[in-house]
Amino acid sequence: MAKTLPRDTEGPSAPAVKLRLTNVSKTYRSATQAIEALTHVNLEVKEGEYVVFFGPSGCGKSTLLDLIAGFETPTAGKITLEGKPVTKPGSDRLMMFQEHTLFPWLNVIKNVMFGLKNERAYRFRPGKQRREARYWLELMHLEEFEAALVHELSGGMKQRAALARALAPDPKVLLIDEPFPALDALVRAKLYGDLQEILIRTKKTIISVTHDPREAACLGDRVLVFTPSPGRIQREIPVNLPRPRDINSPEVGAYASQIMAELESAAHERQ
Amino acid sequence: MKDNNAKETAFYVLLFYVLLLSGWQIVFKAGFIPDYLFPSPAQVGNRLWELGSDGYLFPSIRTTLLRMVVGYVIGAAIGLNIGLLMGVLPIANQCLKSLLLGLQTLPTAAWVPISLLLFGLSDHGIYFVIIMSSVPAIAIATSSGILHISPLYLRAAKTLGTRWYGMPHRVILPAAFPAIVTGLKLGWTLGWHGGVSAELIKSSVGLGFLLYMGRELNDAAQVIGIMVVTILFGVLLDRFCFGIIEQHIRTRWGFEKRT
Repeated sequence: MAKTLPRDTEGPSAPAVKLRLTNVSKTYRSATQAIEALTHVNLEVKEGEYVVFFGPSGCGKSTLLDLIAGFETPTAGKITLEGKPVTKPGSDRLMMFQEHTLFPWLNVIKNVMFGLKNERAYRFRPGKQRREARYWLELMHLEEFEAALVHELSGGMKQRAALARALAPDPKVLLIDEPFPALDALVRAKLYGDLQEILIRTKKTIISVTHDPREAACLGDRVLVFTPSPGRIQREIPVNLPRPRDINSPEVGAYASQIMAELESAAHERQ
Repeated sequence: MKDNNAKETAFYVLLFYVLLLSGWQIVFKAGFIPDYLFPSPAQVGNRLWELGSDGYLFPSIRTTLLRMVVGYVIGAAIGLNIGLLMGVLPIANQCLKSLLLGLQTLPTAAWVPISLLLFGLSDHGIYFVIIMSSVPAIAIATSSGILHISPLYLRAAKTLGTRWYGMPHRVILPAAFPAIVTGLKLGWTLGWHGGVSAELIKSSVGLGFLLYMGRELNDAAQVIGIMVVTILFGVLLDRFCFGIIEQHIRTRWGFEKRT
């Protein structure tokens, strides 16, 4: 495959900051009350880093992902991607949702080509779009299913196709909201493997959201522990394990226990 | 559906129509109603054959279909655009919804008098009736189809870099397509009602005109014959035009397995 993987040629200098959040707060206002969803979040995500937002539901981690994706705008603070402020949704900060959200009116390869049609390098070049889409489908072991309809795929295959669709436009940051929650354990373990394989090959910058400590330990280079009301980042846990990591290994388990312990102590601290 | 099953179904449907025609023939034979008011199936068939060989029937079918195609294409274009506007602009939806629902309750034939006043006895009036009959149903179905699109598809399309001008043809219309087809089908049926009604009054050719002529000549065989032809075309177009599209949607969206 004629795909250059820039990571191999990287120089000795420290990776650049890709995404920077400065004092980001988000308050939802209704007629009767104001709910502070996030307060004073500061974060730097470096090139090629995998950051996991971990915390209980209602801690603002999904809200923060929406802010980075551009679906919501912060009430205060600043979000910049490679120095440029984030204002609206776009494929440079591509988001994958809990549901696969593949378009049922398109077959598998047309779904993967969907985002490419919006990219300047691919616009009005269906042959090039198709070649690129095939590359990602092969990487996801879906090459035999390119003409299949969405409902003909199994749950795991749908998520892999959604991952191919998300990676094809080469986003600067990939945002994943609770990867693969609706799948059985075996399929999930396989997908964690696939995701890490992609990670090693492309060195994508990824942020994902989860409330599963094992998943956080398996995927993250760095796990940020959120606490609720108002949501903020309370702890930061680097995960120093070689990849690919097996989600069922004792090392991942040890980190998962540490992440849970940190969450509990952080929650106490807040009270 | 299995092949065997399909054959069996076809057999029963055929049997039903044979029985229906036999029943008709029996009622005719019993002679409760004089035969100039209630002709037999054979008399109706004969009359249609005569109309065909005299050169009345086929030009009329062609004219009616042509009027329908022209009027319906215009009506569908207007209806789709109004529906799209209502789907993406809440204020347009609030303003137009009650008006269109009201118009949809109006019997299609009620458009004929106003079209006579506006257009006289020209063909334009028939197009007007077809358009006005089909637009409300198509617009309502399109807008409600759009308003029921899962917001996740819109979010996914936006994060995949789709800009506002790409949304209608790449996401909104395809996602609402199943609902839109239902509206287009209803619009065709209502347009067909309106078109034939208009021809009853203001035309010298067309299926509606042949119905009117049959009544003028006290020719029940012609009236019933033309009614049968009108129904036949309605069913055929429904089955073959919209049926194929609906089948396509059912397999594509997974409402039904691909065969």
